[in-house]
Amino acid sequence: MNFAFLAPLFLAGAAAIAIPIIVHLTHREKKEPVPFPSLMFLRRVPFRTSKKQRIRNWLLFLLRVMALALVVAAFARPLLDSSGLGLAVVGDSREVVVLLDRSYSMTYGERWDRAKGAAEDIIAELGPNDRATLVAFADKAEVVSTATADAVTWSAALERVEPGGGRTQLGPAIQTARDVLEVSELATRELVLITDFQRSAWDGADAVRMPAGTQIREVNLGDSTATNLAVADVVVDRTQAGGRDQVRITARVVNPNEASAELPIALDLDGVGVETKRVAVPAAGAAVVTFATQMVPDRAARGRVALRTNDVLADNIFHFVVAPIVPVRLLIATSPASRSTDLLYLQQALAVGDDPPYAVTTKRVSDLRAPDLVGLDGLVLMDAPPPQGETRDALETWILSGGGLFVALGARTGPGAWPPEARALIGGDPGGITDRLGDRGATLSILSYEHPVFEPFAVPRSGDFSVARFLRYRKFTPAPDSTGDSQRMLVRYDDGGPALFEQRVGRGKVLVWTGGLANQWNDLPLKPVFLPFVHQVARYLSSYRPEPSAHTVGQVAHVAESRLAGTSGDEIVIESPSGERDAMAIDGDVSVPLDQAGFFIARRLQSGTSEGVVLASNPDPQEADLAMVSAEEVLLALQPDEAGGDRPETLAASLTAGQKERRQALWWYLLIAAVAILLAESVVAHRTVSVVR
Amino acid sequence: MSSPARFLDPTTLARISNLELLARTVVDGFISGLHHAPYLGYSVDFAEHRAYMPGDDIRRIDWRVFGRTDRLYVKEFEADTNANFSILFDVSGSMHYGSGSVTKVEYGKYLAACLTYFSRQQRDRVGIVTFDDDIIEYVPASAKHLDVVLHTIDRIEPRQRKGGFEQPLHKLAESVNRRSILVLISDLYEDPDTIMRALSRLRYKGNDVIVFHVLDPAEVDFPFDEAAQFLDIETGERMPVVPEKLRTEYQGHVREHVAVLESRMGKSEIDYCFVQTSQPLDHALFSYLSRRQELSRVR
Repeated sequence: MNFAFLAPLFLAGAAAIAIPIIVHLTHREKKEPVPFPSLMFLRRVPFRTSKKQRIRNWLLFLLRVMALALVVAAFARPLLDSSGLGLAVVGDSREVVVLLDRSYSMTYGERWDRAKGAAEDIIAELGPNDRATLVAFADKAEVVSTATADAVTWSAALERVEPGGGRTQLGPAIQTARDVLEVSELATRELVLITDFQRSAWDGADAVRMPAGTQIREVNLGDSTATNLAVADVVVDRTQAGGRDQVRITARVVNPNEASAELPIALDLDGVGVETKRVAVPAAGAAVVTFATQMVPDRAARGRVALRTNDVLADNIFHFVVAPIVPVRLLIATSPASRSTDLLYLQQALAVGDDPPYAVTTKRVSDLRAPDLVGLDGLVLMDAPPPQGETRDALETWILSGGGLFVALGARTGPGAWPPEARALIGGDPGGITDRLGDRGATLSILSYEHPVFEPFAVPRSGDFSVARFLRYRKFTPAPDSTGDSQRMLVRYDDGGPALFEQRVGRGKVLVWTGGLANQWNDLPLKPVFLPFVHQVARYLSSYRPEPSAHTVGQVAHVAESRLAGTSGDEIVIESPSGERDAMAIDGDVSVPLDQAGFFIARRLQSGTSEGVVLASNPDPQEADLAMVSAEEVLLALQPDEAGGDRPETLAASLTAGQKERRQALWWYLLIAAVAILLAESVVAHRTVSVVR
Repeated sequence: MSSPARFLDPTTLARISNLELLARTVVDGFISGLHHAPYLGYSVDFAEHRAYMPGDDIRRIDWRVFGRTDRLYVKEFEADTNANFSILFDVSGSMHYGSGSVTKVEYGKYLAACLTYFSRQQRDRVGIVTFDDDIIEYVPASAKHLDVVLHTIDRIEPRQRKGGFEQPLHKLAESVNRRSILVLISDLYEDPDTIMRALSRLRYKGNDVIVFHVLDPAEVDFPFDEAAQFLDIETGERMPVVPEKLRTEYQGHVREHVAVLESRMGKSEIDYCFVQTSQPLDHALFSYLSRRQELSRVR
């Protein structure tokens, strides 16, 4: 057995042992003088010198030397370099990682019970020195139980795992297993894969080789004869008939099996059966079923399309939400001097289209009051000065909390219309009028196509802003940006002058347009690009985001704060399909992780009887295909690079001095011993050295 | 320790800040433990007649005897005169040393306060003189000076000055005209010859001198362990000392000093009492009482 040090240079610190020797031999005289009433009698004693010092307190001296020696040795990181010790450290124990598939295909037949039974068997096989880690996975992998040999802990962890609505993805799970096995110091590493080996779960790119010496085995729960049909998608088409909104619901049924099938399919809304049809799906094909047109209910209705099939998988039912269309509320504030024709083009543009529809109201800016801003999605100041007094304060608060303001500068909104104290709102100073009559007008030349307003126009031939001529526009000088990222110039004229400027204020935004929108200074309202431009601006101002009728498990749905009914309370409760409730604080939009299939409900904690926002979540349709991949193919791809050999010996031999030292951690014991000795030294020193002053 | 005696322990006394209260506590507690009557020496009993001598106070002539015998006789009473009682308190720098909770000067203050209070109880006139190498404060003996004396004792502050006996005691000897009981409280860090010279002057003038030689236990036993620089509190002089090397010789010098003082004062009829600050006050009080008893018959 060899004794070595990982950091032998620290042994130079042993020179510090000289310190107690010096203290005991040479530094015995106290620095502080001892006051004494009179040296009269001391002076009478003949003066004697003593050159030869001796150590008076051997016990104290030895304790101090030992403590220093131990500290020095600890810092030098000692290790015992012995193969026998390596075996003792490594032992013959096993590190087992169990990957348990919890995707919704595991609910097929008795797969889940068999999977849990196999996991229980593994813990039963473990020896006292073995450890097992349980990793449950679907599209994500989660370590449910860290390395343990305790059957009770294991069973409790296993009991908590339930099959979810996610699809199988082997890649993350395999990587997690590798992470655990790689750092294991136990002699044998073992990976157990409990899954149904769906073809959709395996991508060759997921292949990750396990650490050397890892034994891999599988518990294959797949069944090549398993059949499954699924409702892959439901499309909710909105139409209008007789002035009322209608929806037409179309479902797509997939049949990945080798045999065709014909079976009933039913639609219900809010639990009430609406229509049942029969659908014939060809082998390895899909069929579309269109249900009769329904009137749009006046509140969000929960819809289900259910396939009456023998399998009990979650993909037989597709959940969706049919919600009434909520128009985007816009208010156009005009100047007292404005004419009705000024608004013509803008109003006409907003009246077109139903995705979303716009509810537009107009008001003189002088009549604008704080209550008008409540529930408003966007405000347009159409060549109008800013509101005064309390209304302006309310406007600022409204913008800070997420409101969108569009300021169209025009002939009436020069520097005089915008008092200095109101200019912080638009982030700059309106100036005089630039007249470009002489050179046939200016064009819009520099556009920020990466901005949400102009994203749809980024593709060639999708809207040409350069065709519009601007004979006049108002100058605008942005104020210095204090934060550095709250202001942005979105559009400039060909002479570099600002055309569209954005300032972010709190959670809201303010857009300043310098060219007017009334077909007086420019002909933009007559160009085809005007309509989509106005719609894009309105969507951007109102933060409009089309709400899909259904989501897929694994996605995160975003719910705008404005959609949550009620105003009181800053906490919301999210109710999952399984009935679990989860409270969270509201901070802007609410993110709801959808980890189950069914209906999620998000509502304010104190919203009373309000329904809240309903979100439909469905299993990933890719999981519907139960076709299997060869287990051998998967296991082969995970095989270690090289044969493990005799694991303990190879491990012991392969361990570097640093790893051995880390495992043995002898320095820790040395430090504890040093501390104990120093404590003893304190006690001894206190008892022996009693100075009478 | 019984309840009254408890108050004689210097460590306990250190907690009492009011000197009069302290003195009353100690003296009353001390006296209650004695068997004798407390007011020793005070009496108005007639003792004898003595023939008038020139210089006697004519107020003491017994005129009735003169009427009967036509001779002048003077009446004498037992302890009819209240004595003058003065504390001579050495407050030099060395007196401010203390290895425990009580310094020598504090011990001396308790002692002085108790003796003063005790004497006042016996109708003596009380006074005090504090000195180092010169007289610092002088309170002449008076029947009304108890409060002043206690206040003076209370105000004694640490001083770094060197002590001396010749000059202050010489001045004192010149100023004390009436026979007094003089109690010297000092650590007597002086050559015995010098001390005796100074005290003898007082004694020759008919005063009764009682000396309390107060030392700290550390000054007697020298219990230091570590070699160190020793600093003379009065002079600031430093001296390297290895205690274990010279402890025995030091103790011998101290013992010799005490023995010489005791012997020479005994010869000069000066009462000498050696006390350590760790000792209860009763030792010193008994010394004083025994001496007071001897003086009770004053002619």
